[in-house]
Amino acid sequence: MKMKNLNKYLKTLALIVLVIFSSCDSIDLDLTENPNFLTPSQADVDFFLSSIQEDFVRQIEGDADYDANDNWQSGGVTQGDGLALFGAELTRVYCLSNTTSNQYYSAYQPSTSDDEWINMYIGIFGDIRAMMPLAEENELVKHIGITQFIEAYVLTAMVDFYGDIPYSEAIQGSDNLNPKLDDGASLYDIALSLLDDAITNFQADAAVLPAIDMFYNNDYEKWIKAANTLKMRLYLQRRLVDSNAISSIKSIISSGNYISSTEDDFQFEWPGTSATGPDTRHPRYGLNYTPTGANDYTSNWMMNQMVTTSDPRIRYYYYRQTPYVPGAEIDPDEQLLQCSLQMPPAHYVAGGFTFCFLNNGYWGRDHGDTDGIPPDGLYRTTFGVYPAGGKFDDDSFSPITSGAGGGGKGITPILTAAWVDFMQAEIAMVEGNTTDAKAFMLAGLEKSIAKVQTFASKDIDADLSYEPTETDVADFIDFIGSVFDGADMPGKWDVLGEQFFVTVFGNGIESYNFYRRTGYPRTLQPNLDPNPGTFIRSMFYPANAVNTNSNITQKPDQAQPVFWDTNGVPEAN
Amino acid sequence: MKKLLLFILVFCFGGSIVFAQTKQITGKVTSKEDGLPIPGVSVTVKGTTTGTVTNINGEFFLTVPEDQVLVFSFVGMKTREVPLTGSTNYNVVMETETIGVEEVVVTAMGIQRDKKALGYAVTEISNERIEQRGQADIARVLSGKSSGVQIVQQSGLSGSGTNVVIRGLSSFSASNQALFVVDGVPFSSDYNSMGRQGDRQDFINGNNGSSRFLDLDPNSIESVSVLKGLAASTLYGSEGRNGVILITTKTGASGNVQKKSEITVTSSWFQSEIASLPDYQDEYGNGYDQAFGWFFSNWGPSFNEDGVAGWGNSPAFDENGTLPHPYSTSTDAIQAAFPEFQGARYEWKPYDGVKDFFRKGNIFNSSVNIRGASNDGTITYNVNYSNLNDKGFTPGNKVVRNTLGIGGNAKLSNNFTVTGILNFANTEFISPPVALSQGNGTVGTGSSVFGDLWFTPRSIDVMGLPYQDPITGGSVYYRQNNSIQHPLWTVNNAQTSQLTNRFYGKASLEYKFDDHLRIIYRAGLDVYNESNTNYQNKGGVNSNSGDVRLLSGFYETWNNINTIWDHNATFSGEYDINSKIGISFNLGATSKREVFNQSGVASDDQQVFDVLKHFNFLNHVEIESYSARNIIGAYGQFEVDYDNHLFLTLAGRKDWVSNFSKENRSVFYPSASLSFLPTTAFESIQSDNVLNYLKLRVGYGTSANFGDMGYPVSNTLFLDTKDFQDDTGSNIVTNSTGYILGNPDLKPELLTEYEIGMDAVLWNNRVNVDLSLYKRTTKDLIINRPLDPASGYNSVRTNIGEIQNKGIELSLGIDWIKSVARDGLIWNTTLNFTSYKSEVTDLGLDTDLVVYSGYSDLGNAAIKGEPLGVFYGNRVLRYEETGEMIVGNDGLYVSDPQDGIIGDPNPDWIANITNTFSFKNFTLDFQFDYTHGGDVYSSTIATLLGRGLITETIDRENTYVLPGVDANGNKNTFQINNSDYYFSNVLFGPSELQVYDATTIRLQEISLSYTLPRALLDNTPFGTISLTASGYNLWFDAINTPDGANFDPNTSGLGVGNGVGFDFINGPSSRRYGFSAKITF
Repeated sequence: MKMKNLNKYLKTLALIVLVIFSSCDSIDLDLTENPNFLTPSQADVDFFLSSIQEDFVRQIEGDADYDANDNWQSGGVTQGDGLALFGAELTRVYCLSNTTSNQYYSAYQPSTSDDEWINMYIGIFGDIRAMMPLAEENELVKHIGITQFIEAYVLTAMVDFYGDIPYSEAIQGSDNLNPKLDDGASLYDIALSLLDDAITNFQADAAVLPAIDMFYNNDYEKWIKAANTLKMRLYLQRRLVDSNAISSIKSIISSGNYISSTEDDFQFEWPGTSATGPDTRHPRYGLNYTPTGANDYTSNWMMNQMVTTSDPRIRYYYYRQTPYVPGAEIDPDEQLLQCSLQMPPAHYVAGGFTFCFLNNGYWGRDHGDTDGIPPDGLYRTTFGVYPAGGKFDDDSFSPITSGAGGGGKGITPILTAAWVDFMQAEIAMVEGNTTDAKAFMLAGLEKSIAKVQTFASKDIDADLSYEPTETDVADFIDFIGSVFDGADMPGKWDVLGEQFFVTVFGNGIESYNFYRRTGYPRTLQPNLDPNPGTFIRSMFYPANAVNTNSNITQKPDQAQPVFWDTNGVPEAN
Repeated sequence: MKKLLLFILVFCFGGSIVFAQTKQITGKVTSKEDGLPIPGVSVTVKGTTTGTVTNINGEFFLTVPEDQVLVFSFVGMKTREVPLTGSTNYNVVMETETIGVEEVVVTAMGIQRDKKALGYAVTEISNERIEQRGQADIARVLSGKSSGVQIVQQSGLSGSGTNVVIRGLSSFSASNQALFVVDGVPFSSDYNSMGRQGDRQDFINGNNGSSRFLDLDPNSIESVSVLKGLAASTLYGSEGRNGVILITTKTGASGNVQKKSEITVTSSWFQSEIASLPDYQDEYGNGYDQAFGWFFSNWGPSFNEDGVAGWGNSPAFDENGTLPHPYSTSTDAIQAAFPEFQGARYEWKPYDGVKDFFRKGNIFNSSVNIRGASNDGTITYNVNYSNLNDKGFTPGNKVVRNTLGIGGNAKLSNNFTVTGILNFANTEFISPPVALSQGNGTVGTGSSVFGDLWFTPRSIDVMGLPYQDPITGGSVYYRQNNSIQHPLWTVNNAQTSQLTNRFYGKASLEYKFDDHLRIIYRAGLDVYNESNTNYQNKGGVNSNSGDVRLLSGFYETWNNINTIWDHNATFSGEYDINSKIGISFNLGATSKREVFNQSGVASDDQQVFDVLKHFNFLNHVEIESYSARNIIGAYGQFEVDYDNHLFLTLAGRKDWVSNFSKENRSVFYPSASLSFLPTTAFESIQSDNVLNYLKLRVGYGTSANFGDMGYPVSNTLFLDTKDFQDDTGSNIVTNSTGYILGNPDLKPELLTEYEIGMDAVLWNNRVNVDLSLYKRTTKDLIINRPLDPASGYNSVRTNIGEIQNKGIELSLGIDWIKSVARDGLIWNTTLNFTSYKSEVTDLGLDTDLVVYSGYSDLGNAAIKGEPLGVFYGNRVLRYEETGEMIVGNDGLYVSDPQDGIIGDPNPDWIANITNTFSFKNFTLDFQFDYTHGGDVYSSTIATLLGRGLITETIDRENTYVLPGVDANGNKNTFQINNSDYYFSNVLFGPSELQVYDATTIRLQEISLSYTLPRALLDNTPFGTISLTASGYNLWFDAINTPDGANFDPNTSGLGVGNGVGFDFINGPSSRRYGFSAKITF
């Protein structure tokens, strides 16, 4: 081959290559930015803050749908879960029945907690970290204060449920893909100092206020009260391992700058404006007010507790779809309530606990009844108007429908004045001052009942003549006071615990923490299985952490206590 | 592109035509073996492109320049050269070539090479083994036809996706699907599932999708080559890494047309039916613990009145053994809607509802192919049309396909050759939704026709119970709170459909500088528009999730427009250095641009029932996604052959990709292979009786992988305009950090493969052996690594680890009986054997485990020291000292909070045996496929057992004690009943208990064909007529699964992708049988 020819050929080749590559977009080699999303540089601080606030309440309450944008896609064994649900199920405030097993060892699988982990770290902490430099640059101190409050709450609540969790090495992206666990006690310290910073920020002048404050509508006096109240709650939580806890609480109480009036309650109000795209209803409402009926079973212990004490809140908490439960006033029914044909287990008989059914249509399940699900969705008792925004129970006994009652315009209570009274009652009990304890407890009940009663108006179709009268309420308060007076010290604790559990209905984090912190009440209905294993004192780490993070190994079981729990296993188990 | 067209036009019409001194000759070609004429023999004037082919009588007519040499060539026969002597009539006798010696195969980039020169394994599959089949999906037709190729369907639904994996999985993030190259142009074989949230989420939510090779009509295919190794596919670049299925269509083969004109008509009719119907028991009905109830489960009373479990014990029945009609005791709304059932009784008996639910499907397929050539053979053309109408055995499922192909090739006298091919395919796939189901409704937000059907209790009359509320239009069914969607309602009110219009083709221009050098430029375009619809009327119900959006009705429409532009220019040459050494080379450059553009609208909250228009829905959300990627490659291949017995090939390619960081975007990968023919080199070892032919080969190949399309290096910010609302109902807009961590350090993954092999022909050409051994190493694997969310992100695409994959592939052909007479008895057996072992040898620095497909607690994992793809999931807790399973205080297995390995989906080995008998004009073929080992996670089996439906569950009055120990190691003695055993352990216990061995034997194909004798057709316009009766998947047995489940492991529950071995009630498999006819004119 002659060189000259070769040159000719190569020139021809080059010409063709030129034609190919100049005629199309084919040779652009810089297509690395993802056009399907914004880039991080386009972020907006207010948009971040709104996202963080919504994710915050979902950390507590979960969600009802499969909205792919809500960090709650996987569901686990319990759909739309959230810390409040876990806590309530374990303390008989809600019913432990929707789990894979009634054995405490395996009642909650690791994957059940996957979405709690995603929501906390990616949904909340990741956004806070990304928002912070933008907020600092523009001196948006109120934005910063709100996220500090949220971070303190979420961080400690997760410690309460999981024990040691990653924090100091978290949210570092590619710099650390295996963040180590931090000691839960140190995270409480961090949370308390975050709250101090939050208070400073709430007091400072901001360049611009947040566009949307879903909690207090930019009333920073209230935010300061909430931050102080959260500090009190954290001190109380670690009182078993912190000898200064009670004095720290008292110094806040003496300042008066905490949530002492119901109008300052820290809570999330679900607008209930839309069922899909987005679903803004209270999640418990969304899951239960469906055409096929309720999905959650209510707790027989809790209903029985309220029935036997004539608790005036019962018609607000529970809605009955039918006046009778098989086995009680009507014949047992193999199709709808199989246990109505069965004998109660020996340990229920021995302890005098209710089994299977209650009178008057209060149709729930026992603690740990994980039987298959009969078609009873339009018979079982479900959530009422408080706090889920459902129906007020006016003895109409009609099946629930989608959109009925308050349409999901409920609340998720997070810190309330009534609970602060119970907090003070607990401190009085610890100090042996039963007189103060009773007074605080009854004050808390009065606040709680008054608040609950305002919810009746959310159900515009309800016959409100069924609302309890002032006398009913006064009689109830007196009755609880007399039971308290008549009990010995552990019995008084039981009464305090029972009333606290009823009062925190809607936020099981509080009942679960109280139960492990005090060991009371001892009167809870035990697990249906006589040998359910050791009570869950902290939950398994989620599968998406254990299977991906080389610095996290799974706990041997769910009996592992968190740092502030030195109390042993609660007696009722 | 205008410039390009102009360029082509100038060359097309710019040439001139010159004639030389010529004369007219005729002749006839006959076979040495039987003396019969051979049609289709290529007759050319040596050193020119002038030529023709023999007609049906073996005759040829040709105008040739004087004093030339004629070359006669025909596939499978020794080429003959005949000098012109001055006579005008030449009778030429041709003899059969020893198999495998002179065969020409198409290799990478369309380069034709002698098979003997190849240093790697290539399997050729001819059109006889592809056309006239009952399957419209080319990949499923290829099942079992080649060693080393695994083909798994998503389900038996007509038109559902298909996995095609060559030499096992080698990557766990990017596609493992083989590259389809049609007529030299890469062909999108994508699987765009019909949903919108990424493939995994889509499958969960009930969306099917077709693999886009469904757009090819198997009848339009001339031949298929399977390039298995990397040495074979280096030139194809990164996309060739999973092996290449090289398809030449009849349209694309038009350049080789050897007859003046031929019209071929094939027509077939097949029937399809469900092949995996479970063997249901008919002794017990709906209920739980022998008590009656309108439940999901079938653990109710017996259909007999007497006995411990008889219905006579239950107060629900009257003395005649009837129940109140379920619609008379259901919700108030249903009672009001069905006055005719109020007071009616319902008979307590087994109904065969699941069987009756399915129908007989029909598949009509016809195609016409017209091909021909101009008198002088310089212009050839082909036109192809086909029509398929495949009505599946599942109600609501069908595929309709029309394809049209036009191709032509012109040799211009100015040394230019122009080829153009255009193909159009219009494919419509319609199916009821099939979402992932684990035994009650579906997981996620969709519906599943199978998920609601498979657990049907025996006493439920699926076909007899009305499915629609006459007032609201919503679903009604037997469960008393109406919490199960009636499968017939699903069929009539929910649908996924995909209408694809696809255009693909190429234009190429070849210029021959002289006899040695040429240059080819080829532009290929493959563009399709998938028009998707996914809807469900309001009034449905997901019995598992109670999803509110499903209930409100939804309607989603969107288009996927996928475009591949492919340009390629090759400069090639061929020289004989001396009488013994020849060299050839190819140098080329190529660019490929892929664009995927998705847009549409998703609406929910239907206002008026059954009106499927977006205006009839309250909420609307956009559907949009876009990605584009360019890959530019430069390649070269150099071949040298020595004395016709030693062949060396060296090749290399460098690629640049557009979606990686600049410093990591290019990669170079070489290959080399050597072929040696001892039987040619040392003629003494060759003999007719023992060793006819032997080839030894060794190959080294590399390839690279850039991962799937997308933008792995960038971080994102997610904006949501509908995240929440304030109390006035106004939307609250949010933004949030992305879930996926961008990784600017991502680099291409590199694959290396060593292969040795042997081709031999023995004992008078009776035995054919093709053996390959290979070892493939994948380094710097690109993976989507799930992260602990505590890192701030959910996953990252990154490089880690190393996988080794060793395998053996053997093809063995034996002619047991080989009659010398033309229509004597022939018996041939072909065995394909495949076995491979993959091992994850390294996973990188900071993790020993990556679950790359499925869920966080159930999926395929890469674990150091284990085969790639082992199931990782929830298992039974073991007693540490003895490894025995631990049974809890409730008598049920305890699940281990630490997930572990619970199975391995990789089969130990796979064998396919095909026997062919031919006598006179009859040919009988049957193909058995056998897969040994490999596990499957089956929700179908678990559901059938766990809900008490199949024959295995008949013994239900005894108690069970699970084998195992308590937490202290004492032998378990806790008695549980049958339903607790099956329901709480087999179905809803730890995932480990739902894993089964998938060993399967299958009669994949059987066919009997008859070709009309030529004598009969002599005076007709017909060339050949053949009739075939055939059947597919007529029988199978998954030996180690419960017989009553009749489960077919040929299914992939995670859709088309890398997730393997999962069944989430994806649907049964199909059996097909019917007739086809092929007629040529």
